[in-house]
Amino acid sequence: MKGNLAKLRASIVKDARILLRDRQALILFFTMPVLFVLILSLSLRDVFGDRPGATFPVLVVAQDRQEVGQGIIDTFRNNPHVRLSLDEDASEAEARQWLIDGQYRFVVLVPAGATEQAKRRLGEVMADVPVELRLERPVEVRVLADPSLRSDYRKVLEGSLDLALHGIEMKLGREQLEQTLRVTQGTHFSGLPDFDQARLFLPVHGETVTKGVGGPTPTSVQQNAPAWTLLAMFFLTVPLSVSFIKEREQGSLFRLQTMTVPPWVVLGGKAVPYFVINQIQMISVLAVSVYVLPLLGGDPLGLGNAPLALVLMGASASLAAIGFGIAVAVFARTTEQAAGFSSATVMIMGALGGILVPKAVMLPIMQDLAVISPLSWGLDGFLDIFVRGGGLADVLPEALALLAFSAFCHAIAIARYRRRG
Amino acid sequence: MTQHRCASPAQPGDTDARAPAIELLGLSKSFPGGRAPALDGIDLVVPRGGIFGILGPNGAGKTTLMSILGGLILPSAGSVRIAGHDVLTESRHIRHILGLVPQEPAIYPTLTARENLDFFGRMQGLSGAYLDSRVQACLELAEMTGEADQRVEQFSGGYKRRLNMVIGLMHEPEILILDEPTVAIDPHSRALIHHRLRELNAAGITILISTHYMEEAELLCSDVAIIDHGRLIVQGSVPELLARRRDEAIELQFFSEPDGALAQALQAIPGVRQVELAGCRMRISSDRPELAIAPIMQRVQADGPTLRSLVYGRASLEQVFLSLTGDRGELR
Repeated sequence: MKGNLAKLRASIVKDARILLRDRQALILFFTMPVLFVLILSLSLRDVFGDRPGATFPVLVVAQDRQEVGQGIIDTFRNNPHVRLSLDEDASEAEARQWLIDGQYRFVVLVPAGATEQAKRRLGEVMADVPVELRLERPVEVRVLADPSLRSDYRKVLEGSLDLALHGIEMKLGREQLEQTLRVTQGTHFSGLPDFDQARLFLPVHGETVTKGVGGPTPTSVQQNAPAWTLLAMFFLTVPLSVSFIKEREQGSLFRLQTMTVPPWVVLGGKAVPYFVINQIQMISVLAVSVYVLPLLGGDPLGLGNAPLALVLMGASASLAAIGFGIAVAVFARTTEQAAGFSSATVMIMGALGGILVPKAVMLPIMQDLAVISPLSWGLDGFLDIFVRGGGLADVLPEALALLAFSAFCHAIAIARYRRRG
Repeated sequence: MTQHRCASPAQPGDTDARAPAIELLGLSKSFPGGRAPALDGIDLVVPRGGIFGILGPNGAGKTTLMSILGGLILPSAGSVRIAGHDVLTESRHIRHILGLVPQEPAIYPTLTARENLDFFGRMQGLSGAYLDSRVQACLELAEMTGEADQRVEQFSGGYKRRLNMVIGLMHEPEILILDEPTVAIDPHSRALIHHRLRELNAAGITILISTHYMEEAELLCSDVAIIDHGRLIVQGSVPELLARRRDEAIELQFFSEPDGALAQALQAIPGVRQVELAGCRMRISSDRPELAIAPIMQRVQADGPTLRSLVYGRASLEQVFLSLTGDRGELR
């Protein structure tokens, strides 16, 4: 056994050397998932949009800071999806340029003297001045929007602005009414009831109805970071299986067989360096998602509160991927066969497992089908941690499923490897 | 060469000095879907101490035989014993005794020569100072100490084959099996490999080599076995086999074409059966060539063009081989 451990160590050193000398492949292993996460998290941010943590940069150019300007500012300030910026004297041209530059997604222009204008208009209304004789026009609060802002989110923002303006109308109207009543009723006037304390309807709160595990759905980065880490891990099955078959073609594997080197030494030598690469892939993707993505305007990734669960998921996903790669390597006849089969299978498993398209937007029947993909198990585990705040116990089912898959793949690979013609 | 064995302690019964190096008994191998068996009831004993050649045309079953000896494939019937140990059931004992050199260089191209030797040495269970000394010794055997730290992918075919051979020697085996070790190789590397094989043999290592180069077998081997269609056709020492077929013809080659008159004149010499003329070459069949040669030479010198070469009485292993394997005997 001690002798075999020394052989395993030599085998690991050999495979690590071979891997480290393939610089281009190494660069690809690490940049591919990181770039995918950056690009897709940023470009798909709004697709995942109305989710906890997803926000839009909104600029309010409030040249009026009285009731109208302040009312609008307060409305957006209280909206959790809005990252509010304020400006008092930016021109419309400047605001347009900022939109084009992508600095803001939505700009509200509150004209100077808006409150005064609204009050004069209200005065004419209350005095029952005939429409055709009114001097004051309604205040125009203008809105500029980024064309890439999804139309439903744009409607939401415009709607909340409309609601804000309605509120301001009500408030100004009430004040005007109060003033008029105070003049006409004199000391008999005891004030209007507090409408805020006498709402007729409860505020609307929609409940999300999800299948199975309830709770929030992921943001763009919460979906993309684990998704592309998993896909990158499973894509290593291509170089892993190819390197194994190359060894068979070069005859070095046969040489090892004649030396009666046990299969677990040969396979372990390959598995360990690839396992390390998988872990570095995961760490680099998570680091980029936590630290770099926010600098580029994306939502930061929260890693949850269960580092051990994260380690367990990373390790079991990697072992599943390595097992799959080794099984492909042992059964495939040529490198072309191995590369073609493993990359196609990984893509299909990725598509099925909610990696390429989030499971939340799939038809229910496809969501059911996702269960057959190991990548789906991995993704569910990571989402348990990132989105649902799960811990070790919550990811255990997914981790065990991945480990069982890995054990199955390794078992059939070793059985096949041992078989002699 | 130092005579201590590999680092792992030798196990009792590892080597039985009285047992032949290799014994095949009724060895057969059929592949699924194969029309005829690849090996068909081969009985063969390779004695200790010599260089034994396995000869055969393409598809004769040489590589199948080598794969069975290396434990890579299982025989369909029969038994294989190496140094008295069964290949199937006692492979652990054989590992220390046997060195196997596959036909294609089985080495890692992106590792250096030294790293390849070190890795395969460790896989044989070597370690520590003994491993280092074996790596150095093998680099010297292959005459590549200067290239030890170059990646193998930069090597020529000859260098790769030399490295391929010495990897099989890392653990100082008693029996070395080489599958066509000099295919597609430069003359210098071939000469070096031949030289090393003779040295190793002189140091007491039994060598089994498969080849389709008849000259190589003639030069190198003490005994040969010829197989064809998976069957053992003949086995014996090289001189024995050569004595079986002595060519009775006299072959002349001239610098210019001789005329028909010379051929007629030679035909008239007593003992000459037939004279065939093809361009500058003439082949004279004779019942008593040792008597006919003198008058033939006299007549040629008197009437013929200048003589370029004369071949008489030399049988080659190639001729033996061709006569035994028939028309299929053309070599790769």
